[in-house]
Amino acid sequence: MPHKTNPLVLFIKESWLLLVSAFIFGLLLAGINAAWSPKVAANKELKIQDAIVALIPATANTQIAVDNQPIKLSDKDSAKTSIFKALDKNNKLIGFAFTASGAGYADRIDLMIAVDPDFKKFLGYKVIFSNETAGFGSKIKKPFYRDQYIGAPAKKLTLKKLGNAKKIDDEIIAISGATISSTAVIDIFNKYVDKVKELMTQKGLLQ
Amino acid sequence: MANSDSPKALPTLLAGLWKENPVLALLLGMCPTLAVTSDVKSALTMGLSTAFVLLCSNIVVSLMRNLLKPHLRILMFTLTIATFVTIADLYLKAFLPAMSDKLGPYIPLIIVNCIIICRAEACASKNGLFISIIDAIGMGFGFTITLCMLGAIREILSTGAVFGKQILPAISENWYLTGGMPDGFIPMFAFALPVGAFVTLGLILGLVNMINKKTA
Repeated sequence: MPHKTNPLVLFIKESWLLLVSAFIFGLLLAGINAAWSPKVAANKELKIQDAIVALIPATANTQIAVDNQPIKLSDKDSAKTSIFKALDKNNKLIGFAFTASGAGYADRIDLMIAVDPDFKKFLGYKVIFSNETAGFGSKIKKPFYRDQYIGAPAKKLTLKKLGNAKKIDDEIIAISGATISSTAVIDIFNKYVDKVKELMTQKGLLQ
Repeated sequence: MANSDSPKALPTLLAGLWKENPVLALLLGMCPTLAVTSDVKSALTMGLSTAFVLLCSNIVVSLMRNLLKPHLRILMFTLTIATFVTIADLYLKAFLPAMSDKLGPYIPLIIVNCIIICRAEACASKNGLFISIIDAIGMGFGFTITLCMLGAIREILSTGAVFGKQILPAISENWYLTGGMPDGFIPMFAFALPVGAFVTLGLILGLVNMINKKTA
């Protein structure tokens, strides 16, 4: 009669190396993650801080007012946003900044959008993450396009192919050769502006 | 006593640089080669990250080669590679966050890079630690140098710069209004796009084949 091996013994005999390796690699990764995750978190915080200071240069301190709050952008589309208060050296509120994201040409586009304390006008935007085509869509980071938003009314904006880019109003002139990226940025603004204003009013951040 | 059939160190090292260069001869790792060589900094980061993973996985696979069960070896290779790719990804996130954002999913995708699993199977699982390390160094540097070469060509042609530093004089924005000749380098943006990657790689592969035929 052939000798029958216990299935558990067979399993351990066959897979012990895999199990031991998985355990050791898991420990290694847990250790490295524990050591480096504070640095990763600090990098993220620094990036946000830098973005707010770049948009509102008088900022001496920032405070998180709303953290990762879900908002409904449309019937099908929902997202999360964080809202930050920008304070000057006397701790006076000089503006708000909120995170916003949407689909770009190659990848998602994450923006930090700044508004004045009354939510009457935009103070500009900074690209936190994008992977738009170098030389074309990447121009959403350039002054020609970005500067058009500084001082623009904090309401829905429209994109024009031609016009005077130096005139600050609710009409934004597209980047030549990068219409998809230009549209993506303006879509992000238009999707978020009313919803964020509503959320800020609900949270008592706006009068 | 060393086995007379075992590979020699110097030919193994040099093979990765030219004769068995992973990109130019074996045509492996084409995804990062085409996707992240639009500038030298990205190409160098990707090359060095892949070289690190290749070196670590070759060391681990070589050390456990006598314990590997044939039907579980691919699973073991994947587990090993995934561990070191995660370490490389965490390192970039912690110490080079801008580059980590730029390379995006391409660093985690090193897990499925054929070069690493190919070297684990073809070299590390059959040879001792020393030869496996030499093989990883040769292949890793061969891959990094090729990516940097592609990155340099594409960055110069698309922006006139290398490592972000302008080396060719930039052209004035409205030079064509003067009616004269261009007063600087005209950037060829197509080289920053996927088409530029295919064209550059194709021309380099043609050149390498031509050299190999002449020297054969």
